[in-house]
Amino acid sequence: MTSNPEILSSAGSRRSRWRPDGAHVITAIAAAVLVLLAFLAIFAEWVAPYDPLRQSLMEALQGPSAAHWLGTDDLGRDVLSRLIHGCRIAVIAAAEATSIAVLLGVPIGLFIGYRGGVWDWIVMRIVEAVVSIPGIMVAIAIIAILGAGLHRAMIALGILFSTSFLRLARGVVLAEREEVYVRSARVIGASDRRILLRHIFPNIAPPLIVQVTLTVGAVLLAEAGLSFIGLGVQPPQASWGTMLNTAAAFMDFNWFLSVPPGIAIILTVLSVNLLGDVLRDSIGRGIAIETRPETPAARFAAAPAAAQPVALPRRADEILRVENLQVMVPAPGGEVPVITDLTFGIARGETLGLVGESGSGKTLTGLAILGLLGAGVRATHGAILLNGRDLRTASRAEMEEVRGNEVAMVFQDPTTSLNPAFTVGSQIAEVLRVKQGLTRAQAWTRAVELIDRVGIPRPEERARAYPHELSGGMAQRVAIARALSCNPSLLIADEPTTALDVTVQQEILDLFRDLQSEFGMAILFVTHDLAVAADICDRICVMYAGEMVEMAGVDALFADPRHPYTSGLLHAMPHASDRMPPLPTIRGNVPRPGDWPTGCRFSDRCDFRIAACDARIPLLGRERLVRCIRAGELELEAAS
Amino acid sequence: MTTRPLLEITDLEVTYWGRSLMGVGGKPFHAVRGANLSIRAGETLGLVGESGSGKSSIANAVLGLVKASGGSIRFGDVELAEMRTRYPSAIRSQIQAVFQDPYSSLNPSMTVEAIVTEPLRVHTTMDRAARRTRAIELLKLVSLSEEHLDRHPHQFSGGQRQRIAIAAALALQPRLIVLDEPVSALDVSTQNQIINLLYERRDEFGIAYLMIAHDLALVHHISDRIAVMYLGHIVEEGPSDRVYHAPAHPYTSALLDAVPLLDPAAQRRRRAARKVAPALDAPRLSATGCPYQNRCPHVMPRCRTEMPPAFAIDGGGTAACFLHAPDAGPARVSRQPARKEPAAP
Repeated sequence: MTSNPEILSSAGSRRSRWRPDGAHVITAIAAAVLVLLAFLAIFAEWVAPYDPLRQSLMEALQGPSAAHWLGTDDLGRDVLSRLIHGCRIAVIAAAEATSIAVLLGVPIGLFIGYRGGVWDWIVMRIVEAVVSIPGIMVAIAIIAILGAGLHRAMIALGILFSTSFLRLARGVVLAEREEVYVRSARVIGASDRRILLRHIFPNIAPPLIVQVTLTVGAVLLAEAGLSFIGLGVQPPQASWGTMLNTAAAFMDFNWFLSVPPGIAIILTVLSVNLLGDVLRDSIGRGIAIETRPETPAARFAAAPAAAQPVALPRRADEILRVENLQVMVPAPGGEVPVITDLTFGIARGETLGLVGESGSGKTLTGLAILGLLGAGVRATHGAILLNGRDLRTASRAEMEEVRGNEVAMVFQDPTTSLNPAFTVGSQIAEVLRVKQGLTRAQAWTRAVELIDRVGIPRPEERARAYPHELSGGMAQRVAIARALSCNPSLLIADEPTTALDVTVQQEILDLFRDLQSEFGMAILFVTHDLAVAADICDRICVMYAGEMVEMAGVDALFADPRHPYTSGLLHAMPHASDRMPPLPTIRGNVPRPGDWPTGCRFSDRCDFRIAACDARIPLLGRERLVRCIRAGELELEAAS
Repeated sequence: MTTRPLLEITDLEVTYWGRSLMGVGGKPFHAVRGANLSIRAGETLGLVGESGSGKSSIANAVLGLVKASGGSIRFGDVELAEMRTRYPSAIRSQIQAVFQDPYSSLNPSMTVEAIVTEPLRVHTTMDRAARRTRAIELLKLVSLSEEHLDRHPHQFSGGQRQRIAIAAALALQPRLIVLDEPVSALDVSTQNQIINLLYERRDEFGIAYLMIAHDLALVHHISDRIAVMYLGHIVEEGPSDRVYHAPAHPYTSALLDAVPLLDPAAQRRRRAARKVAPALDAPRLSATGCPYQNRCPHVMPRCRTEMPPAFAIDGGGTAACFLHAPDAGPARVSRQPARKEPAAP
């Protein structure tokens, strides 16, 4: 956070990690301002050149001079000394009011958020009443009861600001108590108090810390304001607010009087808020990025991306062809590849399954085709040819034209992929109006036809339903209708049945098959479930750790898997065998991107590894492709 | 059943009340309607059903996370359904759980040691060193090691997190662990590792499992008995192999038929032979009679009016379906008193 000279000096060579960019410099300045403030507050008596209360009417209202660097006020008191002593008031004020706000607001907020019920209702109505009145009015009302003076004013501000802590703590607890770990803690038998303090509290601390910094800033401003109107610090004591008060009275004689306290307030509030932002960004909830000793990017630079273009024969009537695709994601210390050297094609009316576990790159392949890779994720090599046009190099505007018209997507969870605020009919009609230029009435008629076509009874009525009014299966049918609305030549379906019950899954798979025979689109079907792939796909591409390890027609793949990973996956399927545990497993875990072995990426988990597996393994074959140098000699079991 | 079951659920009802403004006057939703189940010590019961069938509500009622609105849950000699608030420590430590999502079931701000030893802190007086020793033992039981103690959950993969959750569930040596979809969020190759682990620990410690899942094929591997739920009712129950290979209730066989096969050719044959698509428009639940009547290919007139009781099935277990009524003939009215639909309050 601070500008460590060692880091700065080595920054040239390691720019990627420690850049002394604007953000770091500003953070350092903000921290320095606050350190200075604290220093002045503690040592005001020694630092200040004069007694802040010493009057000298002979020297009243002077401008800056060698004797009085910031001039003097109406009673001839040294402005610099008063400013320095004002720091102490500022720090006391901020500490007092903020602690009162936290100590009052957080426990009550935690309690009512966790308990809910009638206490929650009562407290929230009171809070709403308080918040609905301008804050300064509330403070003045409280001061009217308690009397004026710094500490009383700070109690008033503390009570006022406690409402924001209360609402924040309550809101975060409301969300947090639904987390499964809270349920686990209840099952363990932890008391409510323990759950609240030990389990929930550490997870809601980050937003509270940020709120503290925001409150400190607000308190400083409010203290100045209250002192300015005479309800806070009482003259002759020096605070930034009373100094401003004085300055306002003598604006005509010496305008400069308002500048020092004004700048002090602005600088302090700015610094506190800036540090709050930095804190918020740095206190992630357990998402600290792991430090990797090696830089994986360097290792992959040595292995060129498009080492050997695969001689995959072009298929007749090919709609999509992906060639040597490489996708990189940002990582600490550079980029790491998540998809390498991926080549496949899909013909019209064909369904290609992209099968793999999490981390295999199958979903990213779908997103890359749509040009919807997330921030920082880039398709760096290769080509994505849709009807002969390369989508990888297409512009943003061109991609917008392509999406929906030529290629459409169906996502896993239909209840979140549909917008809950609009009727399902209007969501389909909107696509038709935007993409095909239909009128409102035409689009609606067509939308109802489509809803009918995907097998939803009473389509007129259902078109007017909102997504939450439909079951998961119905909502997925609507999502499919929307995807098909512009008759795309390629449909990408990403785990479209994973969130559905098995009986509904079967219906949706049947629907895909029916629609394909009618519309003739190519389908790229992304799934982790080999059995689903067996049902719907014509050919299957098995992916592992960012690359294709095997591709074959569906019958050949299940009857005669050639790659040890494919065979392992087939055996691990729950319905593959009838036996009691121990069930067959693939040992270890899928390696994360950046931790891939240099040779065969499956070699760490493979039972058939030999020395030659440590070299880069090419994808071999023509109609059937397999990335295993022992594919010819191994006798792998098919699914039972 | 000669010995007394470890867990015996009788006529269990779980009802949720919809919230309206200020928490009064909502509509009731009957998640579980008259469920009967029992688990003996060391036995695994697989509870299968679609989302919304009420299987998780049964789990939550057993765990004391929701209150039963009727019926009884006996654990040993103790009646759990009558406990108003919290289970006493002696009971609580004997019933533990592993939940579905390993990403949210572990507290992100706690270390593995804190997570695994939390049950010990709550229920025992072990000191810090003893707890740490126990934590290392527990991690070894789930094939993790001492070096993992000081890490946070985000440093682990899904399968490893589920191992940590299992270690925490084992900490108090419980007699019953409720497994709520313990592997459905995991990758295929990791699922079996966890199933094997659960199986080994069960045999080692004689723990009983109540395993909730949507996948009959998966449950079949590990369960001694399987119960199938549909819309809050337990429609079939019986020995695992019998239910899996000779399903007695039409819904169970529909569930089994819907599971995709790994053999594409067999899948095509099954597809061709499949009956007409079910009527999508039929209301899911009828006011009277069998809950499955609107989707059942064997529906009979009496199914519309009478709730079928649980009939005994050859090979063990029961099925709530008139196809198995001892008086067989579809037109005749059962002599047995049919269980009435629970009256809506």
